[in-house]
Order: sequence, then C-alpha cells, then structure tokens
Amino acid sequence: MTILALNRYVSPRVPLAWRNLIADKKRLVRTSAGIAFAVLLMLVQLGFERSFFDASLSAVRELDGDLFVMNASKYRFGTRNPFAHNELNAIKKVTDIASVAPLYGDWQDFFWTSPIDNKPHLVRVFAFDPDAPPVFLLSGIADQQAALRGDDTVLIDSRSRRFLGMDGSVRETKLDGEMVYVVGKFSLGPDFMSDGTVIMSDRTFAKFFHSTPATLPIEAAVIKVKPGEDLSGVRQRLTAALPSTLTVMTKPELVEFERNFQAKLSSAAPIFWLGALVGFVVGTLISYQIIFTELSDRLPQYATLKGIGYKNAFLIGSVLRQALLTGLAGYIPAWFLCLAVYRIIGDIALLPLHMTLQVTLMSLALTLGMCLFAAAIAVRRVIAADPAEIF
Amino acid sequence: MDMPGSAQIPAIRTEGLKFAYGEGTSRFNVLFDISIEVPPGQLAVLTGPSGSGKTTLLTLMGGLRTLQGGQVEILGREISGLSPSELVPVRRDIGFIFQMHNLFDSLTATENVRMSLELSDRSPAEIQRAAQDMLTRLGLGHRLNSKPRALSGGQRQRVAIARALANRPKLVLADEPTAALDKESTRNVVALFKQMTVETGAAVLMVTHDHRIIELADRLIHMVDGHIASDLMLDSEMRVAEFLKSIEPFSALNPAELSHIAEMATLRHYEPGEVVIREGEQGDELFLISEGEVEVMRQDLEVARLGPAEFFGEVALLSGQPRNATVIATQPLDIYVVSKAELDAAMQHSTRFRQQLRRFFMRRR
Repeated sequence: MTILALNRYVSPRVPLAWRNLIADKKRLVRTSAGIAFAVLLMLVQLGFERSFFDASLSAVRELDGDLFVMNASKYRFGTRNPFAHNELNAIKKVTDIASVAPLYGDWQDFFWTSPIDNKPHLVRVFAFDPDAPPVFLLSGIADQQAALRGDDTVLIDSRSRRFLGMDGSVRETKLDGEMVYVVGKFSLGPDFMSDGTVIMSDRTFAKFFHSTPATLPIEAAVIKVKPGEDLSGVRQRLTAALPSTLTVMTKPELVEFERNFQAKLSSAAPIFWLGALVGFVVGTLISYQIIFTELSDRLPQYATLKGIGYKNAFLIGSVLRQALLTGLAGYIPAWFLCLAVYRIIGDIALLPLHMTLQVTLMSLALTLGMCLFAAAIAVRRVIAADPAEIF
Repeated sequence: MDMPGSAQIPAIRTEGLKFAYGEGTSRFNVLFDISIEVPPGQLAVLTGPSGSGKTTLLTLMGGLRTLQGGQVEILGREISGLSPSELVPVRRDIGFIFQMHNLFDSLTATENVRMSLELSDRSPAEIQRAAQDMLTRLGLGHRLNSKPRALSGGQRQRVAIARALANRPKLVLADEPTAALDKESTRNVVALFKQMTVETGAAVLMVTHDHRIIELADRLIHMVDGHIASDLMLDSEMRVAEFLKSIEPFSALNPAELSHIAEMATLRHYEPGEVVIREGEQGDELFLISEGEVEVMRQDLEVARLGPAEFFGEVALLSGQPRNATVIATQPLDIYVVSKAELDAAMQHSTRFRQQLRRFFMRRR
C-alpha cells in the first residue's frame, strides 16, 4: 500500500523500471520466488564453504601463543608429525621468550567409547602440561586446567557430534580401552575431519603410548614472547637456533598455513564453488526466462518509446535497472530465509554456519551479475524493436 | 502568430518519395513519387483505401523508417541520409498518435504522458503540470492517477493523444486518432487539434475516415495505390459538399451541383430536448445530421432514431403535406439545413438524384 501511495508524489523522472517490476503483484511473487531459489542455492553453498574453513581453522584459532614451532615437514596443523622432545632445550635458550609450552596432539589413534551406542569412535586429542601456562584460548580451559592433574582425567567438547554422547552427563567412559574420567567441558565444535575433541594432561596422554612426558614427541611448541618484545626479532633468533627440520610460525601464519591447505590441497573448496556455480547457472536461466518474458510483453511499449524519440541507451538502461531490481527482489527474501536455513543446518550438522559480510557481498554480486547477464542477452530484443511497426 | 519568415518553412515536406517493401522478385512498391508540403497551422487529412500507402507515408514523414528514395524535410530539417540513431532526436519534435496506443500498464495516465515530456528539458514540476493540464483538457482530469487497465478504450486513446500533444509539437502525425472515441470525445479531440493549429501554428496530418474531422480539415489528400489521387484545399462550402457526398442520394450529384447546394446550406445547432420539426406543421426544409442524434416521434411514439450522415424532412418537402413526425434532438445536434428551392434546382439537374430521393421518400412514407 505504501508503494502505491508513492504514485501521488512527483519524482524527478518516471521510475519506469521500478513501476514495471511492481506492476503485476502475482508476477512479482513468481519472479521473486524464482530468483530467491537460485540465490538460496548459492548462499547455502557459499555458507558451507565458509563454515568448512571456519570449522577447519577453529582449533588453530583457539591456540594461545605468539609463535609456534613445528616439524617443517608438516603439511597441515591437523595431522600427526611431531618433533623430538629435546628440541625444547634449544627453544628455551632463545632470549625474550616468556614461556614455552609443548602441545601434543593426535588425530588417528584415539577411539572414544560413546555412552550412547557403546561403540568406539575416532576422536581428536590434544594434551598439554596442566602446570604450564595455558595453550588454548578456549573459554573455561584455564580454570579447568588444574582438574587435569588427576590420573586419567579428560575435558570433553560439549559441541562434539551427538553420537559421541559428550553433550550429556557422561562421567566416565573408555578411551582406547582405558577408563577415563570426565572432569570438565569446553566448547569447540567438530570440523569436517573430526567428530569430537578430548583434552588431557601430558601425563595421561603419555600413558597411552607407554611413555613419559619427558620423552614424548611434541606436535607444536606454543611460545609466548615477553610483553613489549619484538616478535620478528624473537622469531629470527628462534629460526637461527633451530635445525632446518623445524619451522617457526606466527599465529596469523599458522592460520594461513591451515587455510592454504584447505583451499589448495583439499578438494572441499572446489566442490562448494561448483555448487555455487550451479546456483549461478540455474539463476541465470531463471532470470533470463523472467526478463525475456517481461520484455516480450512490453515490446510494443518500448518500440513506442523509441518512436517518440527515446534512444536505445535509455531503454537498455531501463531494462538493466529493472534486472537489478528483479535481482534484489529475489535476493532480499532469500537472504532472510537463508538465516533460518543456516540456523537449522548449523544446529543439525554442528557447523559454524554464519551469515558474514563476505558471503553477503559475494552472493549479492553473483545475483546481480546473473540478472545483468540475463538482461544483457534479452535486451537485444528491445534494441531490434522497430518503431515503424507500431503505426 | 508565426514569426515572419518561419511561416515559409513547411512543417513537413516530401519530394519524390518512393518506398518498397521486400527484396528482389518479392519487391513490392507502396509509394511512387509522393510530393507533399504541409505548412504550419494546417489540419490536413489523408484518406484512401487500405493498402494505398497512407501509413507507410506517415512512418516515413515521422522519421520512423530509413528513406529509400526521395526527400523528407521535417520542420525544415532534411532527414535523408540520417542513420536510425540520428533520426531519434528528430522524432522528439513530432507528436505521434499511433493506431495502437501502447501505454505502459505499469504507469498511471499522468506518468505515461510524462514519458514524452521528459524528453524535453523542462523542470519536473513543469512536466507534471503540463501532463495533468493536457489530460484535463482531454476530459481525463478525474483519471490522472489511473492505470490504463482501469480505463476504457476511449480513455486510453485519449491518454495516448495527450502523450503526443503535451509537448506542444509543431508537427502532429496521427493514424486514426479517433477510432476508439465516442462522439463527445471526438468532438473534444478535434477541437483540440483545431485549437493547436491556431494557437501554436502546429501542422496536423492525420489518416482518418471520420467525417467529423474531415468537415473541419483545411485540406483533404486522397491516396490510391501509392499515388496522390487528389489534393484539395477545403473551404467551408467544400467541406459541406464533402459531407453531402457521403449521404446516399447526394452522392449522385456532380461536384458543381454539390457545391451549389453546399453554398446554400446553413448549419444550425440544437441542444438536447429541442424540437427540430413538429408533426402537423408546414415545412419545406431538408435536414442533414452532421453530428448528434435525434428521435423521430409519431403521435408521441418513438418510431426511429437518426444519427450522423442521416437526413429527414424530405417527405413534407416532396409531397407538400404537413410534417408527418416530430423530431427532437437527444444529443447536442449540428445539422445542415437545405431549403426546397435548392433541392428543386438540384432535382431538375440530376435525374438520378431525383430518383434516389424519391426512393427514400417511398421507403419512409
């Protein structure tokens, strides 16, 4: 109704494209639904791609350190490739380091017996010295660190996949056949490789390998630099002090290292992009059909405008404007619908599906792009319209 | 009204204009060597059977087609050799009234008219005012914000006419502009055309077969098979003669006889309800309806209704008896009156006319 009320105002120019869009309410609903379908397809794929990265990077993002020393042959963070414990001595000798805490990890060997089905499931395990400074930023970890001093105690991820039974009130269960006792929880969430995460002390971890913390190979040394000290200076000294089999990374470099693996080496990203491309192609076909029909219906009117002295440029401009408005008419409802879809899928799949500015802008650009592309093909009909035919 | 000198430039001029559709063996000539000049302020009517090339001629004069042979000068501007895109701005100075009104159903009446006004460099407020003024003049003041879907066929046609005239063009090209209009609207539109030719010196060239327009035209161009068959300047007697010719018995008369009667005919106007003739009275006048409608009553019973190009009064005139019916105007009535003396003279000259009039007389008695 407010839209109709605009009729009463004098706009500088007749908003032809807008008027054409809203002229037929039923057609507008069909148009909007058609475009929205394609937009939703793209948004979900882009959202999955985003969440795939977010999930894969969530563990490294939660690491609490300035510099990280890892085996140079490691191709990603989430894979077991440790270095010898005694390399720690060389690290500790470097000046201006506030603390060094070894982080142990395993992605392949630990099976958590789920209290739900009593069957063993592969989980991701992190371990550290509960008496050293925290290695994780995860909220609550620092407070619960002391509880890990007890034998065979673990912290579990309450956002693990449900079949692991970590979100319930499990007190004890078996891990690789050994009894473990749950003394606390944290919230991290699964990624596309691991269904759940268990955190324990270095001593408990070592027991599984019939070893001791003093000889346990280290996955990453988490280093904190003294406040006010130059990070790159410390990093240079570290690199110089360590053999070339070890590499030093800052936290942003570590995140980038992991992202790089997901984007370039894993096949996941292209799959999502292909999904978004399918959405784009489907959307282009739908919008071409819509725009072509719309133009055909108004061809005599466009020819009349040419007859009374409007240039092709004006008509093309009007058609493209209408195409952009058509795109928005589909995009806006799809965007809101997608918030609900993200929430539902996110809850079911425990994926960090969030609408981000980047996803919004990317999908908007794709939507407007597909409508403009479709309009550019369809507009040839208007250019070819012969004003002499209407007399 | 016109600046001295500017009157010399014709609004539209063609010379040796030729046109053919198709290629090679299927080539079909529609116009042969058309040379016409319409000066500012002239209301010219183009008639002719369908397929005679009228519409093609209009599209060429309007710069809607690329010329093939000959010359066209629109408002003093030679358009031969102009590319389709160069023709676009030339068309902005012309008011086109197309057979199809092609209004945007998404726009209101005012907005449809504004579309043509926005090609000029007026301010938005001026454009709005001009659009509403023109619609109001065409009797659509109460439908300014209506969409075409909510308008009748005649109202839509008037919106299209407003779109063509709102810019006050110096040249109006129209194809059957009154085809969808009722009498009242036609009278309005024709009056507007006439007024524009007088006020702004606009030239109006239109294809029409509507005798109500022909009566007011300054000039009558008749086309047959792509040639100009006749090109007549019409003064008022000739206009009446043209009208008379359209009435059956009079079509038998030659131009000289027609113009003689036309010279003597007088135009009378009656308001609805006025009595034209009364049953029982003596009368020696023949009435020819130009516009409007009458009802024919005998003993207070309606026996007939007569409209444009129909006539009455011949019974009393031929028989010498009193009027056998009362005739009352039911609409504003413009009627030509011919007296017994002229009619007698005409009947003496033309046996065929006499026979035809008698035949009508027998039929009506």
